[in-house]
Amino acid sequence: MIDPRFCGNVDVLMSYLYEEGDNLERQAFAAHLAGCEACAGEVSAMRAVRGGLAAWAPPETVLDFRIVREPESRPGRFAWLAIPQMPAWAQFAAASLVVGVAVGISGLEVRYDQQGWTVGAGWSRQVSAPTEVAPLSGVQQASTAADAPWRAELAAFEQKLRSELRPADAAGTDPAVRQASLAGSKPPMGDREFMARVQELIDASETRQQREMAVRIAQVTRDFDTQRRTDLTRVVDGMGALEGRTGAAVAQQRELLNYLVRVSQKQP
Amino acid sequence: MTATDEELVARSVAGDTDSFNQLILRWERPIYALAYRQIGREDEARDVCQEAFLRAFRALPGFKGQAKFSSWLYRITLNLCRDWMRRQRRAPFVQVPEGVDVSDLAAAAAGPSESIEDVIGRKDLGRHVAKAMQTLPDEQRSTILLKEYHGLTFQEIAELQGCPLSTVKTRLYQGLTVLRRQLERSGVVTATPAGGRP
Repeated sequence: MIDPRFCGNVDVLMSYLYEEGDNLERQAFAAHLAGCEACAGEVSAMRAVRGGLAAWAPPETVLDFRIVREPESRPGRFAWLAIPQMPAWAQFAAASLVVGVAVGISGLEVRYDQQGWTVGAGWSRQVSAPTEVAPLSGVQQASTAADAPWRAELAAFEQKLRSELRPADAAGTDPAVRQASLAGSKPPMGDREFMARVQELIDASETRQQREMAVRIAQVTRDFDTQRRTDLTRVVDGMGALEGRTGAAVAQQRELLNYLVRVSQKQP
Repeated sequence: MTATDEELVARSVAGDTDSFNQLILRWERPIYALAYRQIGREDEARDVCQEAFLRAFRALPGFKGQAKFSSWLYRITLNLCRDWMRRQRRAPFVQVPEGVDVSDLAAAAAGPSESIEDVIGRKDLGRHVAKAMQTLPDEQRSTILLKEYHGLTFQEIAELQGCPLSTVKTRLYQGLTVLRRQLERSGVVTATPAGGRP
């Protein structure tokens, strides 16, 4: 006997087809199928479709997903000192700049004379006492004048004084010449006045040197800062480009690997 | 002894990344298959699969175990597939290879008992099924996929899709009916005469 409540009943049909739901209801539907050709045909057709669905399989592919935790790295107080992140040329440039600034500030002086090699800092130079001023030989004058501008000026002033004193000494030995000299030139400078003039020149030269040093330090600081900013910009740009290239390379490697796997799977 | 999904989830929530990697190893094939059958593109399906696990890992602390882990993962995957199709503004595209590659067929043989003719017939049927599936609405297609290929119960699908159980059965019936017509039209499934025994 056909139970009409089962005909066209999707709920019961699906439960029966997938063997899910109330067992008694499914048994009743099975009995109904024995007498209902329409429902039996429906079930048979659905089963054929399900058989066809089993033939659809996704292509084989390589799946190797993993969750990987990256080690946490907190930026420290001196994170900017992480030199290994900088390229070698940047480290070398920074080191050269630091050494140059240090030499400039300290006024490093390397000298070779009769006492051998002498290395000293600018602030270790002492102003010579007036009594220590001694005549310099020609070679010493040349090397000393090359050290600093004020030394050249001092040497020139010394030569000038000597040239003025020489006729005075000569006049002291020959009264005729001395008379002529007194008549045609300025009176000779005393020792006190001479040393005062020398001290004045030294003070002026030191003032100029300090001013020049301050200007140079300011310039070096400005150059250093500019260079640092430029280097940082280049480093950041370089890192960005490197990351981009690495990402592209990884993507290419993955595609290549997948291709190789597919090809190898096709081999008999 | 193999740990259950629930045990691995608990360890993962506690911070054990290896446990979550075991879950990935266990579920990556089904998730990839679901994504591929849903959107029909191999590369994009792999990306969706990867993104699904990543989202699941991030959202793991919020997973309270109301549903099975696999159902939760299926829902994430289907949402991603829906987003992808919406972004692409296109229907699922199934890559159907042209022609027959003998070496491909040989590799596709299920076993030594399956002849090359069987393999050709199976692959041909698979192509027709794939084409017919892309004509289905998204809800019907995902219902069929979850029921046929992943063995979810009606109740699980109803919870996953957020609809009544009867709606799930209706969607399944309507989808199978459309597929039946398409496959009969293609000639790969013969129309069953009325009165055929189940």
